[in-house]
Amino acid sequence: MSVRALVRTFSELCITVGTVIVLFVVYVLFWTGVKADRAMDHQIDRLQDQWAEQSLAARDGKSGRGAPLLALHTKYEDGEPFAVMYIPRFGFTWNKPVLQGTATGTLKKGLGHYARTAQLGQKGNFAVAGHRRTYGDPFKDFPELRPGDAVVLTDGTTWFTYRIDRKPYRTLPADIGVIDPVPRKSGYREPGRYLTLTTCEPEWGHSHRLIAWAHLDATQPVEAGKPEALRR
Amino acid sequence: MYGWIWRHLPGNAWVKALLSLLLVLAVVYVLFQYVFPWAEPLLPFNDVTVDGQ
Repeated sequence: MSVRALVRTFSELCITVGTVIVLFVVYVLFWTGVKADRAMDHQIDRLQDQWAEQSLAARDGKSGRGAPLLALHTKYEDGEPFAVMYIPRFGFTWNKPVLQGTATGTLKKGLGHYARTAQLGQKGNFAVAGHRRTYGDPFKDFPELRPGDAVVLTDGTTWFTYRIDRKPYRTLPADIGVIDPVPRKSGYREPGRYLTLTTCEPEWGHSHRLIAWAHLDATQPVEAGKPEALRR
Repeated sequence: MYGWIWRHLPGNAWVKALLSLLLVLAVVYVLFQYVFPWAEPLLPFNDVTVDGQ
């Protein structure tokens, strides 16, 4: 093979590798977002379906109060959605499904609930993880959270309004104390109904984690309409 | 490399161009559908939990 052919093949290889890298960047920055938006919409649709069926069943059933009670004690199934989260600070239209578990595949379809933490609204710590970047950037504006900000969740029967208590706290990835029932470093002393959000820090890295803590401020049945925090 | 592929494609220049386009699209599809979803979790963007699951 002549030197000429060698040089040509080498340059063609370089151009190919460069093109693949550019395509990969497009995939990470853009395509994962498209895929995640589609997946999250699908999860929310599934929830709405499920809730519609539940309320129909409740109407047709013996007692109107039966279904909401049943829903409260439902066991969350791994990888399945069970709630929708609203954070007005991230935008008035910001809403994401919350799925059970924090597996990589689960976090591609929505926010993930740490399986060993408390259930929504119950005593203990309801801890949720989400992507800061890629897969729809759900927690992109995480550092913007401020004390008093509302984190609203619904499980189809009840609205839960949590209030953020301090600015996001930066910690190390192994600091699992932040999702304890009474989270360490949060300033909470008594057992209570808390919520913890976690995401990565810095934005594109994984050396640290950002944590936000909130306490349950109010609950109301869905029949009572949207909670105060979501009204404009 | 690309010259070799071009020479081995059948037909006249137009057919060759069309076939190359199809080849490029096929490669991009395989990358987006199989290769990138495999490679992406190796990057740090997925580490959003505190218990390392």
